[in-house]
Amino acid sequence: MSAKKLGLKQRYAHMTRGLDWETSYQPMDKVFPYDSFEGIKIKDWSAWEDPFRLTMDTYWKFQAEKERKLYAVIDAFAQNNGQTGISDGRYANVLKLFLTGISPAEYQAHRGFAFAGRHLRGVGPRVAAQMQSLDELRHLQTQIHTISHYNKHFDGISEFSHMHDRVWYLSVPKSFFDDARSAGPFEYMIAIGFAFEYVLTNLLFVPFMSGAAYNGDMSTVTFGFSAQSDESRHMTLGIEVIKFLLEQHPDNLPIVQKWVDKWFWRGHRVLGLVAMMMDYMLPKPVMSWKEAWEIYYTQAGGALFQDLARYGLRPPKYADIATAEAEHISHQNWAIFYQYTHAAAFHTWIPDAKHMDWLSEKYPNTFDKYYRPRWEMWGRMAKEGKRFYNMALPQLCQTCQIPMGYTEPGDPTTIAFRSSRFRGETYHFCSDGCKDIFDAEPEKFAQSWLPVHQIFQGNCGGATIPDVLNYYRLANGADNLDYVGSPDEKLWNEWQADKLKTAV
Amino acid sequence: MTVHKLTIEPSDDAIEVAEGQTILDACLRAGIYLPHACGHGLCGTCKTQVLDGEIEHGEASSFALMDFEREEGMVLACTATLKGDVTIEADVEEDPDARKIPVRDFKGEVIALDDVTHDVKNVRLALQGDAIDFQAGQYINLFLPGIEGSRAFSIASPPSDNTHVELQIRRVPGGAATGYIHDRLKIGDRLSFTGPQGRFLVRKSRGGPLLFLAGGTGVSSPRSMILDLLEEGCEQRLVLVHGVRTQADLYGREAFEELARQHRNFHYTPVLSQEPDDSGWAGERGFVHDAAKRIFGGVFEGATAYLCGPPPMIEACIATLMQGRLFEKHIFTERFFTAKDCVEKPKSPVFRRL
Repeated sequence: MSAKKLGLKQRYAHMTRGLDWETSYQPMDKVFPYDSFEGIKIKDWSAWEDPFRLTMDTYWKFQAEKERKLYAVIDAFAQNNGQTGISDGRYANVLKLFLTGISPAEYQAHRGFAFAGRHLRGVGPRVAAQMQSLDELRHLQTQIHTISHYNKHFDGISEFSHMHDRVWYLSVPKSFFDDARSAGPFEYMIAIGFAFEYVLTNLLFVPFMSGAAYNGDMSTVTFGFSAQSDESRHMTLGIEVIKFLLEQHPDNLPIVQKWVDKWFWRGHRVLGLVAMMMDYMLPKPVMSWKEAWEIYYTQAGGALFQDLARYGLRPPKYADIATAEAEHISHQNWAIFYQYTHAAAFHTWIPDAKHMDWLSEKYPNTFDKYYRPRWEMWGRMAKEGKRFYNMALPQLCQTCQIPMGYTEPGDPTTIAFRSSRFRGETYHFCSDGCKDIFDAEPEKFAQSWLPVHQIFQGNCGGATIPDVLNYYRLANGADNLDYVGSPDEKLWNEWQADKLKTAV
Repeated sequence: MTVHKLTIEPSDDAIEVAEGQTILDACLRAGIYLPHACGHGLCGTCKTQVLDGEIEHGEASSFALMDFEREEGMVLACTATLKGDVTIEADVEEDPDARKIPVRDFKGEVIALDDVTHDVKNVRLALQGDAIDFQAGQYINLFLPGIEGSRAFSIASPPSDNTHVELQIRRVPGGAATGYIHDRLKIGDRLSFTGPQGRFLVRKSRGGPLLFLAGGTGVSSPRSMILDLLEEGCEQRLVLVHGVRTQADLYGREAFEELARQHRNFHYTPVLSQEPDDSGWAGERGFVHDAAKRIFGGVFEGATAYLCGPPPMIEACIATLMQGRLFEKHIFTERFFTAKDCVEKPKSPVFRRL
């Protein structure tokens, strides 16, 4: 009789078991100095169930083929001048937002997972974090290829890397990742691995990728497919991490809960940029932010937290507030950018009549009552030659770094203000969620690099708009201001005229 | 309709797959868990090796299933359909305690029919022909005259009594099958059934205390399991908590109490959730999970739990056990996958079986 065949799990264990070792020249606590200060207790690292069972050899094979396929599409897109086939010149601004806001964050994620992959003591999570680190680097690289292509035609993305460290609204995703990367390895894994990659990633990727598909941007769609096959691994890792921490020791529950609360709220604030993209920036909208929130958070997140409740974990604090804000957040964000387009690296516009009707239909409770009148007023002012720009620098939330434009829960006509005192200074917040996060770690958030404060302190090249634009490396009159009248619009109109000529 | 045979290695399970049905759907419906996530060919979580036979890839994304993998015979279970009989090697957990007992057809004569409560009947069938081989905890599919299809009932008698099968059947209000059993079935009737079915069985290889949490007629499987264990001379601590609404719904009490007197390692606790305050009931009150928490002081580490009963009871017990440090690996429940489970409710991938 032949020997009994091993199951996949046992075979993988035989192939990978014992690849790490107990150090003897140096104590393990010195080799892994960061995996205890957060208070997380791990009794048995070997209880980690590797959810992918992917060997490094197979990993390379996979990624190589993904790259080949993706670059074939990107090349074909470039050779066929795919950029002229997008739905409208305005769509390019969606890409600008993604490529300046998210792409540098992919690099931050790469570094964060490299750190976690070095500093987690267990070999299973270490390998998984290292693979994810490489995935994130690959995502950045493919996105830089997209930047390189669109940059030949559209403004606003040539200085994406420089802008990441300086521009006021890009500090929102930057501070999110800086916060995660300057935490310990376990908090990083919960922040990015679980809260971002599992709970919120569908709200980031699906809107951008389906938005790209609806608007004729096949290179971004293909990137989406290529990334999604990595994302499934990332999501599985996020789930494994939270289960592992919760099962290892009862003392881990309150720590994990605190992180889930914090990173849900921080993620929700960053995703406000996606909300405005979906509702205002796509020439052909896919679904509203409110609908996306209902599907990807309320339903999918609901099922997730219902299962995690068995461990004693509750849904994130302020999830109800975030759900209520889904009625408002996109309108308030686009209004902020409309007022400050002169300092942004993409264009804004007032939604046309047809688009406003779509918003009325998607937001029957709020759009006509609170937001349509403002757009109509700004529209009239623009017609009279008094296009409204807000020339005052906005107060920023100390935690999320977004201008304090959000309204009180349940009262959309009153701006929400919260504040805390710390070491004799007053710090300001847009919401209870952001205030709680500060109050839990004031030493950390008191050091935040707030773009507006930095301008006032004279650290941004001067106090005038041209000084600051210069510091941001934004070309005044090209990268910023309204879409109407921009070089982007001019180019788009030329392409359209060429197409007509060819057709005739 | 064409039906193909799907064999799953290494467990050697064989199931039927309809034309156009995906491998994943067929496996889940047969109670075989395969890892999966997106369900439509994009993520690659359900990747599976085909060892033999021909399949259709369906809508598998070229990024989730690479060309080199297709050449190596990999498929995505969530999109792949069968073109003939197929053998796959799947990521199925090995279960050293599960025996492979082929399902067979049986005929039994009703030799006893007792009302054990106002709505539960105990049906005892004497097998005609061959004896039945089964593992305690398994169930049978019973056919009733004039009623389409079969109904699943857990076997309440121990495997040692292999010429009989005993079922405890509650009348489901408006239910055709249970109505037939309660109103029309009589001694001497002959019924046919198939079995044994299911993977709800005692993991004897694990050792450690065993905790049985049962609600209503959900006590039938635990009864079979406990009788089997005690007959074998099991010396582990065995705890049975049986929850019903009121004293009028409680049955089997004397027999379990007698068993507890004979076996020092067996502990029996009936618990009532809706018993009137002034009834004189001196035993436990509340729900099954409340009683279990009190008995174990809220800490279940090291035990293995077997849960059988209505879904809200199972859910409450799982939460109590997990908060008492007993996790998925050590919790077994009786669960059937139906089309409804797969489609309607968004399910998170946190747990595999629970």
